[in-house]
Amino acid sequence: MKILVCIKQVPDMESRFKPAASGVWYDESDLAWRMNEYDEYAVEQAVQLREQLGEGCELTVLSIGPDRVGEAIKKALAMGCDRGVHVQDDAAATKDPWQIAAIIAAYAKDQGYDLIFTGMQSQDRGSAQVGVTVAEDLGYACATTLVGFAYDNGTVTAKRELEGGIKGVVKLTTPALVTCQLGLNVPRYPTLPNIMKAKKKEIQSIPVSELLKEEPLAATVSFHPPAKKGGGIVLEGEVGALVDQLMGILKEKTTVLR
Amino acid sequence: MIKDESTLNVMIETVQKFVKERLIPFEEQCSENDEIPHEIIDEMRELGLFGLSIPEEYDGLGLTLEEEISVVLELCQASPIFRSVIGTNVGIGALGIVIDGTEEQKKKYLPKLAAGEIIGSFALTEPDAGSDAASLRTSAVKDGDHYVLNGTKRFITNAPEASVFTVFARTNPEIKGAGGISAFLVEKGTPGLSLGKNEKKMGQWGGHVCDVILDNCRVPASAIIGEKEGVGFKTAMRVLDKSRTHIAAVCVGAATRILDEALKYAVERKQFNKPIAEFQLIQAMLADSKSEIYAARSMVLETARKYDLKKNISTESSCSKLFASEMVCRVADRAVQILGGSGYIRDYAVERFYRDVRLFRLYEGTSQIQQLIIARNMIKEVS
Repeated sequence: MKILVCIKQVPDMESRFKPAASGVWYDESDLAWRMNEYDEYAVEQAVQLREQLGEGCELTVLSIGPDRVGEAIKKALAMGCDRGVHVQDDAAATKDPWQIAAIIAAYAKDQGYDLIFTGMQSQDRGSAQVGVTVAEDLGYACATTLVGFAYDNGTVTAKRELEGGIKGVVKLTTPALVTCQLGLNVPRYPTLPNIMKAKKKEIQSIPVSELLKEEPLAATVSFHPPAKKGGGIVLEGEVGALVDQLMGILKEKTTVLR
Repeated sequence: MIKDESTLNVMIETVQKFVKERLIPFEEQCSENDEIPHEIIDEMRELGLFGLSIPEEYDGLGLTLEEEISVVLELCQASPIFRSVIGTNVGIGALGIVIDGTEEQKKKYLPKLAAGEIIGSFALTEPDAGSDAASLRTSAVKDGDHYVLNGTKRFITNAPEASVFTVFARTNPEIKGAGGISAFLVEKGTPGLSLGKNEKKMGQWGGHVCDVILDNCRVPASAIIGEKEGVGFKTAMRVLDKSRTHIAAVCVGAATRILDEALKYAVERKQFNKPIAEFQLIQAMLADSKSEIYAARSMVLETARKYDLKKNISTESSCSKLFASEMVCRVADRAVQILGGSGYIRDYAVERFYRDVRLFRLYEGTSQIQQLIIARNMIKEVS
């Protein structure tokens, strides 16, 4: 069985983001980089399946981006993936989800993967389009926002999170792609000895030009922090007067009271 | 020397996450109970933290000193007691074997120390031999193919948990100083070896220290590190050269965390209708701490790079340990000052760190001993 897990490297979400000079993305200087949180769930689930299936199963991790992305790939290798694929692309951040999906699909189409794992979405762009588009490009069955996963003899049982805490279970026949959500599992720490051992695992490097033939379908036109909100209103005075003031504000500025 | 930067970065990221998720949340509990829960120690073991400095051929990670220190700088942003658990295996409790052990000794102990299966401990200090370690009185008298050890070792870190002790004892009473001392590997359970009660310390609650008592304790001659008599003190000094740099890094890690706590408080706490961080007298304390941490960090990394190039770092490691351990106490003192009354209250981590870091100016050579080493090395170079 062949499994692919796709990961993205994103900035530490505790970073302070500044718009880049281009005005369409954030400035990447002075940021610490991490594996996208949802992709950690994807890697963990893929590794658990790899352990379940044992010998005869190969788990590949793929990421697209500049050299620094190698660190995210190494982390996934240390968590238990067998080999890595690094699609070298210094301009990955400027590509739209259609192009990113096209790159992955172009790589995966002749590889015969039975199952592909991705995160539900990335923490920075948050489009949630890449996984489903890859499935569509490859003609794979697809289930999104997984909070439960089981695999048996070519069938995936996927527990999905719907709105309002409702869960749904769907069954997919491989080949299939699933996107992973918070709550699916608790990702393991890559141990330090396994990080050292990961140095010996193969990472194949492929220039993006060999895989990408698609033009973008969507262009980002601006990137900006949210407008600063004004300070809150502090009401002062006697309780009776306070109630009158509050009623006035609620009637005037909100639809709570009419 | 960093052999592979991206691999090191993955390690650092892992340790940062572990510190944030698994260590910092348990700090207060460990301190209050004077014990680290077993499951946390198991997780540290599983993560591979015990094997940082042990060579790869003995199942350790074989990090260079610069790499080891880069990891320690992150690990020590949690309470120093967590570092203390691994500290003897990474440092003084294993280094004697790494540096001067025979192949057989290395194969016997290092893989278990690297895995954290056993804890190593370093027994040099005695009731009457602290800074003047070369005057130690513990005796080792040859009896056939064994030695019989007698004496008391004091303030031995991790002794209650240790399975193997590096014990320094005088094999040649004719030589009063360093030349008469040998280093022995004494295993827990050896008849004649016993432990004193756990000391009640000012800080670092959760890390344990006690006496190690040797009463007609028989060990085979093969237990001498390197199976060579009379070189034990040299082994100890070589161990300490390296471990002092490690301790300096521990100080920098702790100082970084303490300053972070003080800064967070200063930007949140309001007095006179504005955050106290806007007052210049508070800013001066923050800036002094930041600058001193930067200086100590630079010293530690530079010393480690020199060690990795196989150069003598006796002076540099003492300079780093002296400056960093004094520095972290100043940073902790300023942090208490910035927090005001709250800095004196146990609910705040700064109060605990203030007590914890005081030890760093005392162990593995007091500040005054570091001054002596530095000055003596300086004078030796010109005379």
